[in-house]
Amino acid sequence: MLKKLLLGLAVASLPFHAVAADGESKAKSWGLVGEKAATFEAKVVDILCEVAGKCADACGAGAYQLGLLTTDGKVIPVNKNSQTSFNGGVEDLLPFCGQTVQVDGLFVGEGIPAQLYQVQLIKPEGGEWAKTNLHTKKWKEKFPEAEGKGPWFRRDPRILAQTEKNGFFGLGKEEDARFIKEWY
Amino acid sequence: MKSLLSAVAAVAITALGSLSAHAASEPQRVTVTGEVMDTWCYYSGVMGGQDAVVGSAHHTCAIWCAAGGIPVGILADDGQVYMVLELEGSGPADGSETILSIQSDRITADAMLYERDGFKYLVVEKVTANEGITNLNHNDFGPIPGFAIPKSARGG
Repeated sequence: MLKKLLLGLAVASLPFHAVAADGESKAKSWGLVGEKAATFEAKVVDILCEVAGKCADACGAGAYQLGLLTTDGKVIPVNKNSQTSFNGGVEDLLPFCGQTVQVDGLFVGEGIPAQLYQVQLIKPEGGEWAKTNLHTKKWKEKFPEAEGKGPWFRRDPRILAQTEKNGFFGLGKEEDARFIKEWY
Repeated sequence: MKSLLSAVAAVAITALGSLSAHAASEPQRVTVTGEVMDTWCYYSGVMGGQDAVVGSAHHTCAIWCAAGGIPVGILADDGQVYMVLELEGSGPADGSETILSIQSDRITADAMLYERDGFKYLVVEKVTANEGITNLNHNDFGPIPGFAIPKSARGG
């Protein structure tokens, strides 16, 4: 009895992500700061709902950041999916809002109280593992007029509008022109 | 037996400390001043050191990431990063004009702070001041990443 109690307390006192890891990860290394591969079971949650009790319908329908609520009650923010072109993880998690899934990916960051998570693979209960690559597909559906060559971020009308207005450094086109003349 | 009980007590205290660190804290009203930034590049090191992935050097990339739904943060003057969960009533993950237009700007936000499991989250009720981009580090680093300015715009 005492042995079990000690074991239980010792597990509870383990560092945050040591508790979260569960099984052998197949996540690909990205060579990131503080990178640690980890697969574990968690519930997909709207972080705002989970931490502030402010709950939008359907986990915010893509407008709010999503995270993972682990089996031991910790909320882990998901910052990235598996794609390499500036894609978050919201579109990949959204179909599983409120559901328990198995995830595989990388914890990243160091010198901070807790690490962020890049989700590379998701497996719903009773389902198969799938790569997290929905962002660009959903982007194409949202911006059909932006069809063309090159990566999405070169064609996104919202981004193009910002660059047109404020330049590449956000300081105006005159500063862009000065910099380009001096730097290149 | 006494030493065993002491050991149990010590582990229990450690465990409770750990559990309380993971628990949610009471929300607090705060005023935060700092730069609106991209949390992924800042913490992952994917684009290099933290000094290079903020400010004017990283402005275009910050917009790309915010448009891609990557969480936006505020890097406060004391070095603390706050993750923005809501901005003036809107979700920040959909890459709206509201969130894109303040990337890299130094703002002051009236917000509610929620702390959970080591992260500090903000529900920004109002941006009360916007000084624009004040960290002009593109003069030191150039654009980060380099391809933020496409060849066609460089005249090459």
